[in-house]
Amino acid sequence: FTFLLIGYISNYIDPIDILGSIRQFNIGWKRFSCDIITSFSISMSSQEILNRIESIILEIVTSLSKAEAPVLALPNRSSWANVSFDSAIGLQMSSRQSVTTIRSDCPSSVTKFAQILKILSVIYRLVQSNSYATKRDIYYNNTKLFGSQKAVDSIVDDISCMLKVPRRSLHVLATSKGLISGDLCYMEEDGTRIDCNSSSTAVSVSSNISGIKNIVSSAKFVMIIEKDATFQRLLDDDFCTKLSPCIIITGKGVPDVNSRLMVKRLWDELHIPIFALVDADPHGIEIMCIYKYGSVAMSFEAHSLTVPSVMWLGLLPSDLQRLRVPKDALIPLTKRDESKLCSLLERPYLTSQPEWEKEMKLMQQNKVKAEIQSLTAIAPDFLTQIYLPNKLRYGGWI
Amino acid sequence: MLKEMQQVLRLLMLMGKQRQKLCLRTGGGLLLLLWTDTGVSTQKLNCTVNCTVAAAGPWCAGIQMEALQPVLASLKESMFPCVWPCNEPDPEELSAFTDLYGSLRLLLSFQVKDTRHCTSEWQAHIEAFLRTFSLANAGIQIHLKLKINGETSLRELSVKFKRRVALADQLLLTLDVTCSAPPPWCVKKGCWCVRGHPAIGGRLPLSIPPQTMEQGLFGDLSVQVVALLTPCLLPYPNVTTELTHIQNPSNIPVNGPSGFFQKLPAVLDCQELGLDRLYCSSFKDLVYSGGTVYTVEKDSWDDPEQESSLPTVQQSLLLFFFLQHSDPFTSQLTDLMATEVLIELHLEDILNNNRQAVVAAVQTELKNTLKSQNHRKKQQEKLHAAAEVILSSSMSIVSSSSSMDFRNACLNRMKVCVCQVHDTHELAASLRESLWRVTSWKFVPRAKCFSTKMEVHPVHDEPTTAEI
Repeated sequence: FTFLLIGYISNYIDPIDILGSIRQFNIGWKRFSCDIITSFSISMSSQEILNRIESIILEIVTSLSKAEAPVLALPNRSSWANVSFDSAIGLQMSSRQSVTTIRSDCPSSVTKFAQILKILSVIYRLVQSNSYATKRDIYYNNTKLFGSQKAVDSIVDDISCMLKVPRRSLHVLATSKGLISGDLCYMEEDGTRIDCNSSSTAVSVSSNISGIKNIVSSAKFVMIIEKDATFQRLLDDDFCTKLSPCIIITGKGVPDVNSRLMVKRLWDELHIPIFALVDADPHGIEIMCIYKYGSVAMSFEAHSLTVPSVMWLGLLPSDLQRLRVPKDALIPLTKRDESKLCSLLERPYLTSQPEWEKEMKLMQQNKVKAEIQSLTAIAPDFLTQIYLPNKLRYGGWI
Repeated sequence: MLKEMQQVLRLLMLMGKQRQKLCLRTGGGLLLLLWTDTGVSTQKLNCTVNCTVAAAGPWCAGIQMEALQPVLASLKESMFPCVWPCNEPDPEELSAFTDLYGSLRLLLSFQVKDTRHCTSEWQAHIEAFLRTFSLANAGIQIHLKLKINGETSLRELSVKFKRRVALADQLLLTLDVTCSAPPPWCVKKGCWCVRGHPAIGGRLPLSIPPQTMEQGLFGDLSVQVVALLTPCLLPYPNVTTELTHIQNPSNIPVNGPSGFFQKLPAVLDCQELGLDRLYCSSFKDLVYSGGTVYTVEKDSWDDPEQESSLPTVQQSLLLFFFLQHSDPFTSQLTDLMATEVLIELHLEDILNNNRQAVVAAVQTELKNTLKSQNHRKKQQEKLHAAAEVILSSSMSIVSSSSSMDFRNACLNRMKVCVCQVHDTHELAASLRESLWRVTSWKFVPRAKCFSTKMEVHPVHDEPTTAEI
């Protein structure tokens, strides 16, 4: 509200600049806390990771020495009861969490037990030899044991949570899904220089975010875009250079960890406003909340993944009315949408976002949703020529 | 002699059946005394054996000998050339019996002249017959005393574990569910189920063949199969089982080799059951056991090495055929006796007349038993495969660790001596053995396996073979 007011009064001052300035003053304590968290992560040495894996093996050996079936206790990453909300961090795993017990003497769980041990032994070898492997490599090395890539992905996250070690520190990489473009240059760990400035093609988000160095950018803001289609549209319209220098990034729907890490990294390094451009539907809002507050499944790593300062640029439910988007471009909410919307409204973080809550209640009341593409019903280039420039110029974010 | 004893026992059981609805108590004793007269050599052509059948206890309460006279008269006629009455038994023999079970309710003595009756084979016949009788009348303690050629032998057929089951028509049976198989060495004391858990199949109506009807058998005839799988491995869900023998006694004795039962393996769908071979045991085995005995052989596994490494417990399946007959126009004991004799004589014809249905019933029971067995095998294979991964992964970490503390801690836990060359090898072997034991022999206590009470199994309209 303050920014909008300033924008109206001082219409020669770009609200984004004001936002950026205020952010600079506020970065003090956050940078400090981020540094602590970052340094905490860095200080998790390889030896400590090896020690943690060895302690699990010793527990298994101890159980067998007592003629007891070994069990593994995995923190439950799918239960809302295991997370708590902190406005400065987002959703984080509670210190006292429920666990799922994986038994080695039960046919229904013994395969998972074996899969976990196998991946632990792979990670042990990777950390010991300071080499890296992707989750895909791990799967293809033993497809019969794992059955699916999804099983490997889930177990790697389970191990990360169990050992309380970021996945990156386990020397397991994931092939990134996301794309990035705009005013940004950086160097990968292996020395490769990446320039995201190309107007026509985007760059895949790095699979080793913690290894990125020498980030250089004069972007004034970062825009998270929900869908690849919208991202490509902005690329085609040369959006990143036309209005102000900026960075656009998409996770192509529900973001993977690397995309989230990249957004977090950009925030930590550049301290510029982060906006989200998502569809005006419950799914889009949920995706935006993942970037901002995190997910239940990855709550154990909330510190390194969440960006609570993300702001909702559009498409707002109130925009649909204000812009008089044609009714045939609007879609009725399904029962599933309504259910998800109710669930979102009950989330612990909504209480600190009254404006967001208001928009969601408006959607609930109007019982319609719309994709960003619905703006083409007003004019083909309405999104990049009018909607986004006005939103950014006049502080139309919440 | 066997036939004669059979007739007497048939009389007792029919009387018991009549009174069953009034009284649920089935305990008591049955004494069978068989002796030759002193000084008479059994080597003579005409060997005479005296037989006394005595009954006492709740199972024959209410019997009045005077009221039985007409029945006994008819019985005596049917048991020609037995001699009635014969020499009286030694009163001391009887007093020992009455001390245990109370006053005698029934005392019948007769004499049979036959040279065959004095051989050891004959004695084994009798014992086998009584054992089969005891299977479905487990509440009765049977005492068999033989004094032949100056040699005395005493057999007491008492049942350690019984279970009462209710068949159709509210017929209650007390089954012998004792499992005598010793527990494997790795089973802890008190953790071995010593009883079987009968599963009652559906009631199968049987049609009476015309030639049997001409002989005077009318009414409703049915068979109900009760399956008993021993030893019970329900508390050990991860152990593989292997069915090796099937035995099918019935409450109506099958005299001599039964063509129907001998040909049964040939008409069963062994492919559906996953069996390589099912064959009937020799006649000699038939004689000594109740009912027909079949030996089961499974398909040879792809990996004989894996087969030998998986812990397997052999099981036997008892398929008890309970034939039941009812005729509203038959209520007198003599008529009931005659009916049972008819059924016994024409059992082969009856079974052949209902071949398809009876074979289907047997197929279903075997299928359910083997389904459970195959499920166990799959579970065990899963555990075995996973165990290899668990061991190799754990040993990979132990072997490549540079932490002496960690390595020594693992070795010390498993009490493997810290030997320069072979320590991790011994550790791997020790871990493998321990993991095999804790996973394969995982014990899940079940109330019905370790309850001390004798339960009454309710009757079900649907087969309850899930028990197995």
